[in-house]
Amino acid sequence: MPKIIIDGHTIECRSGIPVLQAALEAGLAVPHYCYHPGLSVVASCRLCLMEMKMPNPKTGQMDWAPKLFPSCQTPVRDGLEVRFRSDPVRENQQHVMEYYLLNHPLDCPVCDKAGECYLQDYTEANGPATSRMVEDKTKNPKKDIGPHTLLYQDRCVLCSRCVRFCDEIAGTGELAVVGRGSRCEIDVLPGQPLENPLQGNVVDLCPVGALLDKGFLFKQRVWLLRSARSVSPADSRGQTIWIDYNEAGIHRIRPRYNEKINEWWISDEARFGWKHVHRPDRLRQPRIRQGVALQPARWEELPGLLRAPFAGVAACASPAGPGGGARLAQPPSLLGRGQGEGQGIGPLAAVLSPMLTCEEAWLLAKLARSLAPQATLVLGHVPVSGHDQTYPNGFTIKAEKCPNRRGVETILQHLGGPTASFQEFLAQAVEGRFRAAYVTGGYPDAWVTDPVAAALARIPFLVVHDLFPSALDGAAAVQIPGAAWTEREGTFMNCDGLLQPFERALPPLEGVKADGQFFYELLGQPGLFRAQTVRETMAAELPQFSEVFIPRDLPKRAH
Amino acid sequence: MSWRTIDRRTAAEQDLGPGLNDAVKEKIRSFFPRYPTKRAVLLPALHIAQDALGYISLRAMRELAELLELPPSAVLDVVTFYTHFWTHSRGRKTIVLCRSLTCELMGGGRVREGLEQRLGIGEHETTPDGQWSYMTEECLAACEHAPCLLINEKLHKGVQAEDLDRILVDPENDHLDMPRSTLFDAPAETKP
Amino acid sequence: MTFGRVLMRHVGVPNSTSLAVYKADGGYAGAARALQMTPDDLVELVKKANLRGRGGAGFPAGVKWTFLPKDRTVTYLCVNADESEPPTFCNRVLIDSDPHLLLEGVLIAAYATRTTVAYIYMRGEFCEQFHILQRALDEAYAAGYFGHNILGTGHNLECYIHRGAGAYVCGEETGLIESLEGKRGWPRIKPPFPAVEGLFRKPTVVNNVETLACLPHILTRGLDWWLSIGTANSKGPKMYCISGPVNRPGCYEAPLGLTCRELIYGADFGGGMRDGKQVKAVFPGGLSMGALRGDLFPKPPDGKVDPKQDYDELDCALDFDDVRKYDLLGLGTAAAVVVPEDADIRDVLLNVTRFYAQESCGQCTQCREGTAWMYKIAQRIRAGAGRRVDLDIIEETSRNMGMIPGLSICGLPDGAAWPIRTLIQKFRREFEQRIAAQEPGAAQSLIRRTNAAAYELPVLHGRAVQPAGGTFATPLDVAPPR
Ligand SMILES: Cc1cc2nc3c(=O)[nH]c(=O)nc-3n(C[C@H](O)[C@H](O)[C@H](O)COP(=O)(O)O)c2cc1C
Ligand code: SF4
Ligand code: SF4
Ligand code: FES
Ligand code: FES
Repeated sequence: MPKIIIDGHTIECRSGIPVLQAALEAGLAVPHYCYHPGLSVVASCRLCLMEMKMPNPKTGQMDWAPKLFPSCQTPVRDGLEVRFRSDPVRENQQHVMEYYLLNHPLDCPVCDKAGECYLQDYTEANGPATSRMVEDKTKNPKKDIGPHTLLYQDRCVLCSRCVRFCDEIAGTGELAVVGRGSRCEIDVLPGQPLENPLQGNVVDLCPVGALLDKGFLFKQRVWLLRSARSVSPADSRGQTIWIDYNEAGIHRIRPRYNEKINEWWISDEARFGWKHVHRPDRLRQPRIRQGVALQPARWEELPGLLRAPFAGVAACASPAGPGGGARLAQPPSLLGRGQGEGQGIGPLAAVLSPMLTCEEAWLLAKLARSLAPQATLVLGHVPVSGHDQTYPNGFTIKAEKCPNRRGVETILQHLGGPTASFQEFLAQAVEGRFRAAYVTGGYPDAWVTDPVAAALARIPFLVVHDLFPSALDGAAAVQIPGAAWTEREGTFMNCDGLLQPFERALPPLEGVKADGQFFYELLGQPGLFRAQTVRETMAAELPQFSEVFIPRDLPKRAH
Repeated sequence: MSWRTIDRRTAAEQDLGPGLNDAVKEKIRSFFPRYPTKRAVLLPALHIAQDALGYISLRAMRELAELLELPPSAVLDVVTFYTHFWTHSRGRKTIVLCRSLTCELMGGGRVREGLEQRLGIGEHETTPDGQWSYMTEECLAACEHAPCLLINEKLHKGVQAEDLDRILVDPENDHLDMPRSTLFDAPAETKP
Repeated sequence: MTFGRVLMRHVGVPNSTSLAVYKADGGYAGAARALQMTPDDLVELVKKANLRGRGGAGFPAGVKWTFLPKDRTVTYLCVNADESEPPTFCNRVLIDSDPHLLLEGVLIAAYATRTTVAYIYMRGEFCEQFHILQRALDEAYAAGYFGHNILGTGHNLECYIHRGAGAYVCGEETGLIESLEGKRGWPRIKPPFPAVEGLFRKPTVVNNVETLACLPHILTRGLDWWLSIGTANSKGPKMYCISGPVNRPGCYEAPLGLTCRELIYGADFGGGMRDGKQVKAVFPGGLSMGALRGDLFPKPPDGKVDPKQDYDELDCALDFDDVRKYDLLGLGTAAAVVVPEDADIRDVLLNVTRFYAQESCGQCTQCREGTAWMYKIAQRIRAGAGRRVDLDIIEETSRNMGMIPGLSICGLPDGAAWPIRTLIQKFRREFEQRIAAQEPGAAQSLIRRTNAAAYELPVLHGRAVQPAGGTFATPLDVAPPR
């Protein structure tokens, strides 16, 4: 690890990185625009310049060279001595800031970026308070450059990050610099908009408010937002994200740096994949079947209501054979169903959705096995769409559109006993092998196809735990509203076995209980569900769960 | 902040302009052996396309991108960097007037005024009869003959405002009509 | 010492562009001699000749060639024929009259650098010159000077002409390389230098037309002849250009070290000023090198050089060293433009600032914004709304750009800073007089009404050229294409 001296302080840094990166990682607030650690270096904004010690050609002594060097383009090497706290450096920063503001519209009050804008921050730190330019500013129209993105051209500082992103990371190259000199603009070829599956990143990348997200436009001021560390459920890669939210709900999702997975970027699926959380038709109340209709029930009733029939079913699953149903201590309304099933008395099944966290899956599996040691544990429906897509620098979007298939599988493998894939489970259900089943969903999109609905309709005592109404409503004996992942905490195990925890951003919807908490109560555990506590008990049995990966938070303005 | 938004997501069919024909594309392909990358053919290709169409239309940009295996925006990027390329149609004859120091000291400003007055157009515009377009350009490297201007490819030296009447009606100009250029005919030398 | 022209010896000779005429005069003998030597000896010879680049920077060509990595497999040679520095035209004159001289130089340089592909990057406005050079190249190919197994030596060389399309910055060597690769001519960050990683990421040599044209003469006439020409550090002949209101504007060859006064007044050169006017200012090395005061100003009484004093500076010798005493950036292209006594210095400032605002490539902030701002101010000063503080702002801005203080990627803003700063410094008195002579209050009333729109080009109907009416005025769309 090379050691370099910045402003007289020796810092140790990773080798092969530019001085600027080392400074940023050491927590120094060096202003810069064009440099981004995930993109090629162009050294064109000339804001990050520093002084450097070099051998003086006359004396041979190490001396401050009489010019400035771009710190983003100078690689660290052992013993390198540089400084940012000096008059030439500061003067340059002041001049550049003045230049940037010459033509920049001072429209921060109506700019979404205000509050997290590099230009604002740097101006506050280094810039002049007034402009010496008395001529009119250049004014440009806005450009609608893609389904998600608006370009406010006159705010652009021409750092070219967005262009390099499209060229180097997305590989689609929709954006270009057009024109020359002070007339340079960012643009797309008319009719060829910015619409690659990573497009949302250009908005985060843009250091100023030039590229803005249409969905977030004029919605919130960023200083009114809080951020929660989360993991995206959009695909099985486990992209780490920030959920920006406040009392009014979620407002946007941004990438959370993760050196192992998504680095600085996220896919659009991850970015825009939260709208379902606020869909008005979310289930908000547990309901039980009384007669033909599902009627509202109280959460407190549920444990009693569920445990007894499940235990009963489990008892019947013994070789004692059919007829045991009569002994079930369950509400008459529930008893009424399933009688047409003839001899179809089968064991209990628990369908563990890959949308569940590891902790939730564990609790539910344990619950099922505690009621019925021979309960069939099923890995729920795994949505897949298309093929894995890999982009030029290695960013991958997985075809598997759920976060925790691997976590659920690991638990099932560990617990052993009767397990089934979702397809096997459906086939067995059609055969009438199940008397009762606890089915979890939690998918953002409709997932109950006709065959699924038909198969599940054959289960006499069906408990459906899901986010939205579905074709299962008619078959469910009990319907339990689930909480979205933003309203829960826990861990997902990604497709490569990496275990990543995430925080809760929002409280569960009014009337809804977090899934883990509910399972806790079903199991008769006292107190509050804490993912960490559950994970620790899991780890005692299953060492895979003893270690989680939490990417380090980057210092502010270090991307 | 500007209040107007322009739509870049769609381009109406009629705005795409003319496309390249096969002969032009073939000519462009004949330049491939000269360079190790296809992208390097872009500048010659743009010259050829502009000679053929008079300007670089959006459709031509798309077709060039396809031909050279580039993202279409890369073509736009290059087209707009260089002042030689026009992105909208122009007249049959283009006057390129030098506006750099020597020419201006020698009376280039008056030539410019005279030109604008006679043609009745501003820079980058075209006369209603489709004959003339005009633009100014930095030093044409013919300063000893200042002020000077190019009409299509012909350099006119020592042009004073009074000479414009004569130059603008000179039938010689029409011999340099578009498509006029042999500049980008396939390389004459056939190499082993 | 009488000096015989070599670079321009064919100017005015009938049919001089043909191979026959060129060969009859000993053409390609230098190349033949070079091909007998080893490439390394050839590089050594050019190093000894101290052939300094004629493209502007004056870097010794032989030394540049030694920067090429030893173990390279592919090398490219780029010939810089993008002559766009106003008011320079010596490369054009050379190609017009003696294209084979350039081609022979290309052949020698390619052999010395073990290059097998050479590109001649020629500015797009050179139309006739393109035809001339292409014809000459075809002839040379046919005669076996290019192509396979040149003159039986086993050396191969392909040479192509690549036309630019109107961008000054493509004369900068890495801008040229990017442009050749089919990109916008945005200069690259250095290091790596082109000699290590240039065109198509391979070792590349970029040399100016005139630099290469010197090579055949060094070979045929010998080192001693070469070293006998010029001053201590500046060897060889140079093509000087003189333009503006002089009696004989044109290109003249002379040993390096010609003084500016000789260039303007010498009977063999500019032949004096038209109508007996005096010289107010002269840009002796292309615009970018800065301005000198002319003989409108008094001669320095003690003959000492002091660019801070209001003295005549025409005694500046145009070689690589003397120019620096006069606060010039360098020799540049040794192309002088004379500003006569009756020109308004504000016009000159406007023209110069516009050039750089127009030609800045737009990568580096200081260059992009600084040049445009100076242009806006110059426009306002010209419109009669200048303020004294504007002069300070321009001067300050010009000090805060450029490669020398490390503030930019390429040398264009240095070239912008020097003429603008020297104009303001050396002619400040006139600026102040002009400002003082403005109508009272003009600055206040005009400030908002003069706006920079004159050099707007239509960017796909995108950029709205806003008239100076404020935000709410209807944006002026670019005139619809017909
Ligand atoms: C902005 C700028 C423009 C330049 N334009 C030219 C030019 O038009 N022609 C040229 O030969 N050199 C030009 N140069 C100099 C080149 O960068 C380079 O130094 C030269 O081509 C090297 O050739 P030489 O060593 O033979 O002089 C320019 C440099 C800069 C910074
Ligand atoms: S739009 Fe934003 S990211 Fe793109 S160049 Fe401008 S400031 Fe940079
Ligand atoms: S200094 Fe100016 S011309 Fe050179 S690369 Fe930077 S912006 Fe472009
Ligand atoms: S961050 Fe270093 S020059 Fe832009
Ligand atoms: S200044 Fe006009 S040609 Fe050079």
